Amino acid sequence: MNFTKQFWALLRMSLTAVPQRLGLVLTIVVGVACAVGVLVSMLAMGVGARREAMGNVRSDRIILMSAGAPGPMQSSLGKDIVPLLYDLPGIRRNAKGSPMAAAQAMIFTQAREKLTGDRVGFALFGATAGLADTLPELRLTSGRMFEPGLHELIASNKCARQFSNFAVGDKRVMRGGEWAVVGNFDLGSGEGMCVVLADAETILSAFRINTYNQVTALLQSPREFTQLTEALKANPTLRIEARREAEVIEESMKRFNGILNFVSYFIGAIMAVAATFGAANSLYAIVDGRRRELATLCALGFTPGPLITAILAESALLALSGAFIGVGLAWFFFNGFAASPLGFSFQLAVTAPIAGLGIAWAFVMGIVGGVLPAVKAARLPVTTALRAT
Amino acid sequence: MKFLPLIWSGIWRKPVRTILTLMQVIVAFALFGVLQGMKMGMDQAIADARADVLYVAPAASGGAPLPRAFVERLKLIPGVKTVAFADALFATYQKPTQPVYVMALESSDVWLTLFPEVLRIDPRDLQALRETRTGALITTDMVKQYGWRVGDRIPLTSPTLQRNGSGTWPFDIVGTFTPREIGDDSGGYILANYAYLDESRVLNTGTVRNFYAIAADPKQAAGVAEAIDNSFANSPNETRTASFRENSQQAMQSIGDLDFAIRSIVSAVLVALLFSVATMMMQTTRERTPELAVLKTLGFSDRAVFLLLVGEAVVACVVGAVIGLGLAMVAFPYAEKFVPGLSMPMAVIKVGVVGAILVALLSTAVPAFRASKLEIVDALAGR
Repeated sequence: MNFTKQFWALLRMSLTAVPQRLGLVLTIVVGVACAVGVLVSMLAMGVGARREAMGNVRSDRIILMSAGAPGPMQSSLGKDIVPLLYDLPGIRRNAKGSPMAAAQAMIFTQAREKLTGDRVGFALFGATAGLADTLPELRLTSGRMFEPGLHELIASNKCARQFSNFAVGDKRVMRGGEWAVVGNFDLGSGEGMCVVLADAETILSAFRINTYNQVTALLQSPREFTQLTEALKANPTLRIEARREAEVIEESMKRFNGILNFVSYFIGAIMAVAATFGAANSLYAIVDGRRRELATLCALGFTPGPLITAILAESALLALSGAFIGVGLAWFFFNGFAASPLGFSFQLAVTAPIAGLGIAWAFVMGIVGGVLPAVKAARLPVTTALRAT
Repeated sequence: MKFLPLIWSGIWRKPVRTILTLMQVIVAFALFGVLQGMKMGMDQAIADARADVLYVAPAASGGAPLPRAFVERLKLIPGVKTVAFADALFATYQKPTQPVYVMALESSDVWLTLFPEVLRIDPRDLQALRETRTGALITTDMVKQYGWRVGDRIPLTSPTLQRNGSGTWPFDIVGTFTPREIGDDSGGYILANYAYLDESRVLNTGTVRNFYAIAADPKQAAGVAEAIDNSFANSPNETRTASFRENSQQAMQSIGDLDFAIRSIVSAVLVALLFSVATMMMQTTRERTPELAVLKTLGFSDRAVFLLLVGEAVVACVVGAVIGLGLAMVAFPYAEKFVPGLSMPMAVIKVGVVGAILVALLSTAVPAFRASKLEIVDALAGR
């Protein structure tokens, strides 16, 4: 008998006997399903967060900040510098010939959660006239744009939904003055954070500040980035640094991603180890229970090669079915599930790559868990095993 | 007690199986220990945070800072015992990628006692700081990172300019301190004198980053916080006051759905474990039916057989759980990297051991009950 024929015969035998060993088989399946389910759910968090944060990224959008500032809050751009930045080479101009760039002052202040009444922080941006040019994904869904010089705000629909006092027509008191909410908007595909926009000069004077935090600008094309950074390097007294939008967001998510990846793979690996032990344990018990049967097969002329391969295949198949259950459960419970760890909310996304990773992970568990029991099965002493009960 | 040898030999009947099962229990409880430890450690950290120290900051960060003169107004608010203030300077050392935050303290003894859970200073170091205008206290982390030593003069670069137009701020290291701040993710900070910062900067002179108002009675702290915010409400300098406890609660909350995630993972782990141990126990009792029949023939009661089997599972699970929780304790300092200031409460061990006993009882109840009801004749005949 050749290898393949033996292998298929053995595998069919194992699989048809599955109902008789339901408990042991289920142990493998459940163990692997839990390990894969947890791994995939946690990775889905990272994927979802990324999708949310990167949803609106444009390769031709750049952010200018003080050199060395880790984020906009530590950056400060004097009013005298801003016009110089608008004139940097590579920045696109609109139909009227003015640069598609806007300076923003950033304020963090508090609103109240609609449901609980708890205080929550939100970001308020005072933006100059170029805002609409640099943020083409901004789409007003109700109301109108704020008027320069007036105490008027527009808030993203996220704010209006989650926090009180952000619907069109509402009034808010900030720094002793009354501000009117005149519009609500959506920002492209992103839903992530509550963003509130107002006129730059009004914000600067109301909050008594005289510097901006950042300038956003659109480039003629993503390639112009080098030209622009060269120009900034040539003028070191400006102490300004240009970064691509994707880079800035990546940077701001670094800590979050670091924690999430570590936790996902750490916990995933530990659970995989436990599932592998469980699989090995069950397979040992299965091999034990089949001693007489296996010895008979050996006596009939079955060779160790196909025997080992068949047990490994059985183990891998059981692990894979566990993986599909795990991925299925993760998808069923968590795909689209809204989470808000570390303060920004997004929807978990169970995607093909992470599902594939979970399945590959399970395959490894099945093979590793199956090796020792398979070798043991192949080495059974035929004479004593035939006498087994 | 006399059953112990019997339980012991039962456990080691199939050594490979026992070791594999034990490994599963160990791994599961190691994970349980770390996760549960993080959760309980956070609750502990919140409970430990002082409720009487109120952090008074501008309602809008990024806007104009609060005037230092508010110190007098804060002192007049009923229920406030002491008021201190601090400011901060964002700077970098040598490279833009090496941030160093400078926390500038007012010259006062209050720092020795104000918040030991945030920073600990030796009175000698504080004295040295106060005697040197450009002095700074550093952490041991910075000694490791940058090789700084007491006596060094370090130039830091900041976007905050000095009166002479320079963004370079020299500091003389005069001592060290121990920081402990929950949720502190910065590259580290140093302590300096408020007077040096305030007298040297061009902008924002006479202002502070925040005040620390200490309530005379921690139970009244919430009311005092409200009184502070009310007294500045509707002014250009609105404040936002919250106790340390409230702030650490918020910091923990921002880690957010962690609670939910931990609970889900721990349940997944325990379900898998329960299933696995239960199957193994069923397998064992099935294989040992003739042996159990022999025991009964020798006069063991149904109850004794039941207890024997349950005892085996309990011993295996508890031993595995204790080893696993021990591993978790060893591994816990690594988890601290993400949530600083966390320690694993001993209660986790108790919860873990109780959990292990529950797993053992749940997984053996059915097979052990069935075994105890065996008819000797049938069992011996292998029917």
